Amino acid sequence: MNTLIILSALGIIALFAEIFRFRKALFPLILLGLGGAFFFTAKEYNHPQIFLGMMNFDNYAVIFSCAILIIAFLWFMMAKNYFLQETSVTDHFALILFSLVGAVVMVSFSNLTMLFLGIEILSVSVYVLAASDKSNVMSNESGFKYFLMGSFATGFLLFGITLIYGITGSFDLASIHTQVAANHDSGLVIAGILLLMIGLAFKSSLAPFHFWAPDVYEGAPTTVTTYMATVVKTAAFAAFFRLFSTCFAGVTGHWTDVLWWMVVLTLFVGNVSAVRQKSVKRLLAYSSVAHAGYIAIAVVSMGAASTSAILYYTFTYSISSISAFTILFIVSRHKGSKDISAFEGMSKANPLLSFAMTVAMLSLAGIPPTAGFFAKYYVFLTAINAGNTLLVLIAVIAALVGIYYYFRVIIAIYFKPEQQLVPIKVGPLHRTVLIITTILTLLFGLFPNLILGWI
Amino acid sequence: MDSNGPIDYLPIAITVLVAGGFVVTTMFVSNILGPKRKGKIKLDTFECGIESQGNARIPFSIKYFLAAILFVLFDVEVIFLYPWAVDFRKLGMDGFWEMISYMGVILIGFFYILKKGALKWDTD
Amino acid sequence: MLGDLKTIPLDWYILLSSILFCIGVMGVLFRRNAIIIFMSIELMLNAVNLLLVAFSAYHNDAKGQVFVFFTMAVAAAEIAVGLAILVVVYRNTKSTDIDVLNRLKG
Repeated sequence: MNTLIILSALGIIALFAEIFRFRKALFPLILLGLGGAFFFTAKEYNHPQIFLGMMNFDNYAVIFSCAILIIAFLWFMMAKNYFLQETSVTDHFALILFSLVGAVVMVSFSNLTMLFLGIEILSVSVYVLAASDKSNVMSNESGFKYFLMGSFATGFLLFGITLIYGITGSFDLASIHTQVAANHDSGLVIAGILLLMIGLAFKSSLAPFHFWAPDVYEGAPTTVTTYMATVVKTAAFAAFFRLFSTCFAGVTGHWTDVLWWMVVLTLFVGNVSAVRQKSVKRLLAYSSVAHAGYIAIAVVSMGAASTSAILYYTFTYSISSISAFTILFIVSRHKGSKDISAFEGMSKANPLLSFAMTVAMLSLAGIPPTAGFFAKYYVFLTAINAGNTLLVLIAVIAALVGIYYYFRVIIAIYFKPEQQLVPIKVGPLHRTVLIITTILTLLFGLFPNLILGWI
Repeated sequence: MDSNGPIDYLPIAITVLVAGGFVVTTMFVSNILGPKRKGKIKLDTFECGIESQGNARIPFSIKYFLAAILFVLFDVEVIFLYPWAVDFRKLGMDGFWEMISYMGVILIGFFYILKKGALKWDTD
Repeated sequence: MLGDLKTIPLDWYILLSSILFCIGVMGVLFRRNAIIIFMSIELMLNAVNLLLVAFSAYHNDAKGQVFVFFTMAVAAAEIAVGLAILVVVYRNTKSTDIDVLNRLKG
């Protein structure tokens, strides 16, 4: 709860930074506030607190909140320079902070009301951010599409919540669990579960409800895309898993088959579409769809190890994504192009950028010794334990396709003739972000227990 | 109201019939009975006797839009006062302070839009 | 008043809301004008509200109605943001037809 109060207060302070003219002090203040929020969240570890049956800060919530705060911290360091060029930097930061409030609510709800509010607090802020590059039609279009698809998904989510309420007479997760198990053969329960799943699949971009994602990711400003691919995705899957493992674990027969097919479709569509992309931003967008498929494997094969697998996957994926998007941001600003050709032959003049990009790509592709390998390994392990061998087989084939397109970027960096030997200027903040993300990716790849031990 | 047969809906059906019938009949009858004169003045848009100027679909100032949207937002937030008002006594002081903090947050938002100049009409 | 509501069987409410919801979904999927799409989304949300109130009366439980307050407030905020984005789109493209938004492809 302290986390929510700190983040909300920070957001309100950020709103007024422009009016009371302390814009310069805002950035350090936000980093400080995020640090404080992290401290107060971490203190609640092993001290579960329940607030009026609405929020339950158990270890699951604490760990995912901490992960989200760390990612947000790195995001702010990455995004500071972009937003300084914009007119209303304080508004953007305020929106991000408010959406972080939504993300924390989404990982700690114990009532469907809070799930709905969390998703909306998160989404409405991000709609605005996606369209925040006001004069750019691509950004407008991205924000508009995101808004349309987001509110469309909200409709499904609400209908699902309503049907579940109709059967169980409650919004509380624990009583829904018992009531659903008691009425498991009712058609309304099945419809409710499936509608909830459709709503959440929209938010976490699982095929066939992923079609908005590549467009929105490509059109939004790169920093906002990073936020959507990392924090939003982590929160969406944390909420997805929290809801389905608490409420519907007893009636897996109703929804695992549908989700199984969605996972297969997501893996196929995400990876195959990514292969033929020229733009690195769109490639990362499709790869983000594909990664949603891998994470959902752990949801399908719900078991004791699923929680840690999802945590490990979302966290390491977010860190590698921040790394990749930061480099894309730096390179595209330097070269004026987001295509793979912009990366050609940059290894000689920019060893740090090239190395960081390579590590990020290896991690996203799932190659040891990076964290991405163990991320996939643990997810596959949950599936094998649940007897989903066929799913693992399909996912491995998908991962092999993935290796192909991630290596296209690495090959462009190292093995294409250099176009220009001018080193690309990297600011100190970006440099710090890249060093941190690269070290973390390698560290978690070598010692996965650093994350797994917590949950 | 124990029975629940279709007969209970008869009043509704009659109302619907009468309301719909009135509209259809008057439109149809006035079309037949009314004289048909077509002239430039007759076909002109009637606007309280004043000669109309230009097209109605012109771009208008964004300020109208802003004010309208802000009105909708602040208008809707009031619905949270209703449950409080219904259970005012039972919620007591706790409810009062909760409502004060809620209104406080809304006032912060209001203060923000005031300071941002969203409600200034005279400047362009 | 709750008694009156209950004389109509619950199934009818479910059916009515489902039909309204489907009309909304169809509107979102097949209409091309952004304003009409917004209205269709509102229709979807209001179908849900109707069903929530019906369930709430059926269960004799006020939680459903409180949830309706939340949906209404959130829907207002959502539509405000959506219209603001639409205004920005309109300024750049001079159209509210969603077919002009086709720059992002591939």
